Amino acid sequence: MIRKNNLPKESKKDLKKAAKKGLRTMRKTRAKHPLREEGRIIKYGAKGFGRNIWLSSAATIVMAITLIILFVTVVASVILTNTANMMRDKIDITIYFQPKTSAETLGELKNIISKDGNIKSVVVSTSEEEYEKFLAENAESDEILNVLDDEMKALMISKMQATMRIKVYDVDNLDSIKNVVEKDEKFQKYLDEEMAPTYDVNQVEIATITSWARIARTGGLVLAIVFLVISVLIIFSTIRMAIFSRREEIYMMKLVGADKHFIRGPFLVEAEICGVIAGLIAATVSYFGFMFLAPKLSGYGINVDEIVTLLESNKLILVYLVFVGAGIIIGRVSADLAVSKYLHKA
Amino acid sequence: MILLDSVSKTYPGDEKPALDEVSLHIEPNEFVFLVGKSGAGKSTLMKMITKEEVPDSGKIIIGGIDLDYVKKRHIPGYRRRLGVVFQDFKLLPRRTVYENVAFALEIAGMSGKEIRRTVPKVLELVDLLDQAKKFPDQLSGGQQQRVSIARSVARQPKILIADEPTANLDKLTTEEIIGLLKKINDFGTTILVTTHNENIVNNLQKRVVTMKDGRIIDDQKNGGIYKLDETPSLKLKREMQAPGHALKPRPKPRMIQ
Repeated sequence: MIRKNNLPKESKKDLKKAAKKGLRTMRKTRAKHPLREEGRIIKYGAKGFGRNIWLSSAATIVMAITLIILFVTVVASVILTNTANMMRDKIDITIYFQPKTSAETLGELKNIISKDGNIKSVVVSTSEEEYEKFLAENAESDEILNVLDDEMKALMISKMQATMRIKVYDVDNLDSIKNVVEKDEKFQKYLDEEMAPTYDVNQVEIATITSWARIARTGGLVLAIVFLVISVLIIFSTIRMAIFSRREEIYMMKLVGADKHFIRGPFLVEAEICGVIAGLIAATVSYFGFMFLAPKLSGYGINVDEIVTLLESNKLILVYLVFVGAGIIIGRVSADLAVSKYLHKA
Repeated sequence: MILLDSVSKTYPGDEKPALDEVSLHIEPNEFVFLVGKSGAGKSTLMKMITKEEVPDSGKIIIGGIDLDYVKKRHIPGYRRRLGVVFQDFKLLPRRTVYENVAFALEIAGMSGKEIRRTVPKVLELVDLLDQAKKFPDQLSGGQQQRVSIARSVARQPKILIADEPTANLDKLTTEEIIGLLKKINDFGTTILVTTHNENIVNNLQKRVVTMKDGRIIDDQKNGGIYKLDETPSLKLKREMQAPGHALKPRPKPRMIQ
């Protein structure tokens, strides 16, 4: 609403023209030097980190601790899954055949059973081979070895069943294998009458281990996601607190005409520096902590091989990069969200 | 240089307008005091000029820029063309005096070389060159305000607005700050200062615009004795209406039948 009588002598049209020209000049005045601007943002970000050392340190420590918790969660999930898988691999279905069943016959029986799609591997051994295994297993037991003369050996071979050890992909689905063993004529002909196949005996154990493996896989994933969310929230809150205490600075910068990018930039750089340092601390603590605990865990029958191999190989640098990358990303996103809140308010 | 035409603003929830049809024209190179009690509308007017607030109606043209056409993304660019001095200084607490002044130039995209040349000159102007490496909390109130002025004039703006720049300062420091603003005005910068301080207004003998209840109630081009309840024109009016006054307004002529 313009009341012409309040304006100076210039006409409204001339004034509007001049005002638009002024606006055009204003838009042109800003010389763009992206590299120079980025350089200044990094410089002030680094200086800000140093000058707010207490807040920066607090944020870095919180970030490092949460990254370590995240590492522990992921590693625990991997270890649990690997241990469960290792135990599953130990499970085999053993089918006993009459003593002295020949190797050729065992080969034919192997061919029959191998047709089943659930079969992962089949290993057969004759009575003689079973005897050799027995000797190998008791190689350190002098008491046993002393009584094994030729007569005893012949007796044992004549009594020891030939075996077929089967590993399967899906331990829950053994019906087709059972069907072959129970219905196939050749199997029926050579099956040992005294020793029944073990799949029925181990069914409960198999089911337990299977369910543990499933819990380890899905539970570990869920736990990792929950911890990831909690970690991000903790880091976000810490950085937000740090920026909250400096919201006046954001307001001041806006008032003197700083662009959003120039205001936001140093805060993001500070958060990224926090992320880098926190990532390095967390990776180092996690590495030494895990390498210290690994032999003890291994002693309890827990499978830590995959993680140990990862940390000992030249992929260790990748582990550090993941930690640092996670720190940078979480720090940057948190700072960006926190600064944006005050940027829009001011 | 500064033109407000019938500018009105009512804050949400308020019944009375903060600014009510305010029209003001300030010429280039003028030094203008904007005076009035708290709640008179001075700060709202200043916020209109810095585009912190948008008027409900009316037109504002600052330095040839019609603020109606300044979109949100252009506000930083527009603010860089103004020099603004605040009552509470608004210095960046974690940056040195030098960096605070340099900040104003950096956001304008000036080169490092130019900044290194300009900042010492500006700090010399406000007599703070020897304090360049100090942080704001190591300075007195007067020194902080001088840093604030140095920051606002570093880009050599054509317009400088100062919102109660001497409110938190003692008498001697107030005189220093006003002297500094006068010096900047002598270089050709248009200056608009809001204040409560009668002494500085009276001493400087510059244009005085008085606000009350969101309206401009007086505009004295040549300054003069100023009292918030008794502006020169109000005083004259009251004197004229007093019984027996020689300049008592004559009654309106009646129609003779």
